Amino acid sequence: MSGMANTAAVEVQPKKTILDLFVDGARRGWTIGTMSLLPNVVMAFVIIRALDITGLLHLIGVVFSPIMAIWGLPGEAATVIVTSIMSMGGAASVAATLFMDGTLDPVQLSSLVPGIYLMGNPVQNIGRCLGIAGTNTKHYVPILVISVINVLLSIWAMRFLLVFM
Amino acid sequence: MEKDKTTEVGIIGYLAFFFAIVMFSGIFAGTDSWLKVFDFNTLNGSFGTITDSVTGKALTFRGDNGAGARDGFIFAITLIPAVVLALGIVNVVDGLGGMRAAQRMMTPILKPLLGIPGATALANIANLQSTDAAAGMVKELCDNKEITDDERSITIMYQTSASATVTNYFGSGPAVFGFMICPLILPLIVMFVFKIVGANLLRIYLKMVNKRHMAEEGEK
Repeated sequence: MSGMANTAAVEVQPKKTILDLFVDGARRGWTIGTMSLLPNVVMAFVIIRALDITGLLHLIGVVFSPIMAIWGLPGEAATVIVTSIMSMGGAASVAATLFMDGTLDPVQLSSLVPGIYLMGNPVQNIGRCLGIAGTNTKHYVPILVISVINVLLSIWAMRFLLVFM
Repeated sequence: MEKDKTTEVGIIGYLAFFFAIVMFSGIFAGTDSWLKVFDFNTLNGSFGTITDSVTGKALTFRGDNGAGARDGFIFAITLIPAVVLALGIVNVVDGLGGMRAAQRMMTPILKPLLGIPGATALANIANLQSTDAAAGMVKELCDNKEITDDERSITIMYQTSASATVTNYFGSGPAVFGFMICPLILPLIVMFVFKIVGANLLRIYLKMVNKRHMAEEGEK
């Protein structure tokens, strides 16, 4: 953009221009993209590759297929949900990998997306969200269980909504 | 309290919020007119293609048939422009008062939907962008006795499921954006709905537990 060069010229100005705002946000996007997204995507690709080579991915597919069928998903989709417990970016990339392999179809992939985030990354959020707020520890288990319920219900909700797409 | 200062919203704030909805809803994605400029995927654009010398197939720089860490690395690089663009747009919307407009509109809705005091609205809006900051605000509300311990748990239930919703969705969602068959905004709406559903499930649970406690105390 031609306006990019001008942002450096804007000196001691209390109010930020739209261009400044965009560049600030974009810089945050770059930090998230390189520091969080990229390592998580690499991790997810390596996990899937390792599971694939060892035959575990196939095994997961067979074992979980009767359960995942309740949500209209192949057994392998369980890897997306399990990964989301540790990492949202990882789970999104696992879903992408399974789509590119042809394991998930576009409807199945789309139906999984909200759940990846609704899981609420418990590995991190027990400290970052529940801990920081000083939540009553007696409520930890119900909160985590309800997060999982949210995930499972959201897949059905998405499937229903996708009928109209 | 600084409530008055934070809820002051100009027309620009509402326009910014509306603009964000239009951008990420993809309603202008299919049009051939200039309105296409108001579509996230249009602005995100596409990579140029390279022709495979053997098959003659047009490929992006990611190529074909990659695997493992190397393929993941290149795939991640193809996603970064979308994250940079999305967070740039989100910051513009926030800077113009779009988030405050959202808070203003949501305050009267959240109270009946979640059954918690309106004072939590600011923390719940902050939760759209940040997990830690929002959780810190909830702690403060409870420390100041503006919400009870149970209300804190209900607020945190709302916050932890799909926490930092906008940042996380646009920070890692680009991995699947290209393959989804629905508008980008649909999963966001579904997440928002289930945040509310989850908070109400906890509300019901707490009500049942408290009732049982009271019954037990009565027997003693």
